[in-house]
Amino acid sequence: MTDLTLATLLPALESRFGPDVKVLPSRKEVLGVVQVKGERLVEVARFLHDQGTFTHCALVSGVDWIEHIEVLYHLWSDALKGYLELTVETAPEEPHVPSVTSVWRGANWHERETWDMLGVRFDGHPDLRRVLMPEGYRFHPLRKSFELHEPEELEVKARHV
Amino acid sequence: MNATNTSGTARIITHVKETDPMEPEVPFAEVEAVQSKEYIPVIKETLTGMIQRGLDAATKPVFNWAGRNSLFPLHWGLACCAIEFAAGFGARWDGERFGVVPRSSPRQCDLLIVNGTVTWKLSHKLITLWEQMPEPKWAIAMGNCATGGGPFRTAYSVVPGVNKLIPVDVYIAGCPPRPEAMLDGILRLERLIRERRA
Amino acid sequence: MSEMWINMGPQHPMTHGLWNLRVKVDGELIVDADPEIGYLHRGIEKICEYRRYNEVVTLMDRTCYVAGIAWEQLYIMAAEEALNINPPPRAEYVRVLSQELQRLSSHVMWYAAYVQDIGLMTPFLYGMRDRDLILDLFQSYTGARMTYEFMRVGGVRNDVPVGFTDRCRKVMDWFDQRLPEYEKVCDNSTIFLERTKGIGVLKAADCVNDGVTGPMLRAAGVDRDLRRDRPYSVYPELDFDVAVYDAPDCYGRYRVRMEEMKQSVRIVRQVLDWLDRNPGPVLAEKVPRFVGTPSPPPGKEIYVERRGYPKGRGFSAMEEPHGEAMAYIINEGAEHPYRAKLRSPVFVNIAASKDYLVGYRVSDIPAIMGSVDICVGESDR
Repeated sequence: MTDLTLATLLPALESRFGPDVKVLPSRKEVLGVVQVKGERLVEVARFLHDQGTFTHCALVSGVDWIEHIEVLYHLWSDALKGYLELTVETAPEEPHVPSVTSVWRGANWHERETWDMLGVRFDGHPDLRRVLMPEGYRFHPLRKSFELHEPEELEVKARHV
Repeated sequence: MNATNTSGTARIITHVKETDPMEPEVPFAEVEAVQSKEYIPVIKETLTGMIQRGLDAATKPVFNWAGRNSLFPLHWGLACCAIEFAAGFGARWDGERFGVVPRSSPRQCDLLIVNGTVTWKLSHKLITLWEQMPEPKWAIAMGNCATGGGPFRTAYSVVPGVNKLIPVDVYIAGCPPRPEAMLDGILRLERLIRERRA
Repeated sequence: MSEMWINMGPQHPMTHGLWNLRVKVDGELIVDADPEIGYLHRGIEKICEYRRYNEVVTLMDRTCYVAGIAWEQLYIMAAEEALNINPPPRAEYVRVLSQELQRLSSHVMWYAAYVQDIGLMTPFLYGMRDRDLILDLFQSYTGARMTYEFMRVGGVRNDVPVGFTDRCRKVMDWFDQRLPEYEKVCDNSTIFLERTKGIGVLKAADCVNDGVTGPMLRAAGVDRDLRRDRPYSVYPELDFDVAVYDAPDCYGRYRVRMEEMKQSVRIVRQVLDWLDRNPGPVLAEKVPRFVGTPSPPPGKEIYVERRGYPKGRGFSAMEEPHGEAMAYIINEGAEHPYRAKLRSPVFVNIAASKDYLVGYRVSDIPAIMGSVDICVGESDR
């Protein structure tokens, strides 16, 4: 698709997926922000990869908003020369999102890291293990309920427990 | 997942042998066997021990002199300080003129320079490497992270100071220390070893 | 023949840092690979949430210790986006100058370490000597060799000192002489050529799908450089070429880095000329005060407190010496970032290692993994 522009892509996305996709107001440093329902994520990803020339999944990350957890995807297109931001919301208890590793292999470790740091499960991920923290670590450190302390405070605490 | 936590309270897992309090440390049968041993091997042991001690006393200054002038550090890089460590053996500072030659196997080393942040995930490997090094051995904590956690001391994954894991002889301040500071630390360690000869 | 797993690391001369490459071998042949990282995970993203905007810069230096100033700018660009602050033009030029000097020093460091791995000892001494010249330049205007803490939200901390541009030009002249010499050492060495040509091949399509970026991607023939394709800072005003090579192996990566060093020298010269002609301030005037005031001890303050500052999100992407790095900052109107996410190119390049290791021999591993240019501080954060 050589005549692809953003002006045609986003309406095409909206008309194809209907209410499952919502185009949010964009910011100047990304091409657009698209909110996707978790169930249709892989289909949207496949559509963007095949028809939208977004061949490079640059970044998968997550934000803990306490009421919900937001998973973010940044996709690069060589034709459009820019990043598209996909956001998916999921519940804070047992958060889970379908994995996009079937579309972009490069998302593999990003998803593992998001599981490690925020505890988001990626359904269909081939090998969802912790990547940065050792296996068997009990916490997901980037949750807002996880707090940092001075090491001295921790020693005192450990003595009182 | 966990609403509250005391998170960073990672503990050092040392190898503590589980012992049954009801059972004495040395079985009775073995104690009896030791008591009924004939006295000749005991004398033999004492004699060899005496000779060994004598030889040790005679050769110790020599080994001390040789050891302190050819400290072989373990060649490994943890973090930022490792780059300055490498620069210290580059063309400008040339650390090898002090007899300091980095070796890649812990079996050939007598100096462990901890040049970077130590994490709890690494701690077991660090202790293993330290235990693989033959005696006599020394350790240098290079930089603020190895000394006390540095800017990352509050992080959930960082050991606040490598002296929680291994005994450290010399601490080098800096984030990262300049190569001169690293060489100065090694020379201070040499002086320490020389003073311990007495 | 029975297959077995071998651990290479965390302490191994090949790794250049703390990570563990587990390879499954059938005799000498690699049939599977499972890299394991996280030995240097320092929780930088979490600590960022406890620090004020300018204090995070300290951590960014230590994120990638061979290209600290690149990560400073990456973070600062995202933070300025989130806080809606514009730096003055001279600050942008000083930043680009730092970027390119850093790219040069990072690639020289890679050259020193890599060619030593291959079996030639002299390049290590060459590389470390010439790298120190660049670090001396850095020291003259930031005060530090590696951890600069130089950039601020809204500009840079200070201007370059008097006489800096002439000194810098002299170093660039020196590099003009040295870079052909670097290439001569490698291209005339049969050992180097035998060990790099046709080794560690990762085709362009695989590179793109795996998310591999930087010199690895350009060596495979994909013409993508964020400095040109998604311009940031003042790169559109500068004249440079993107180094692309059509051999997706270790030798191609070496070629791309060599060409990038020459381009960096070219960019530095242009920036120096601009700096000579255009004096001016290097720090924006209207920067909110709370951005840099001292921080309370961590854990003592709720970080979602609101001070009426407009909320925003900042995203920045840049061409770091190792590849494409990204930062994502969420500003919730508080003094600390609500969330700071960093994307490291090395993280992804290690993740793809199975694709370019399988099928080669155990003795090729140092040559292949060295050509990736691994900086563990960056991949583990």
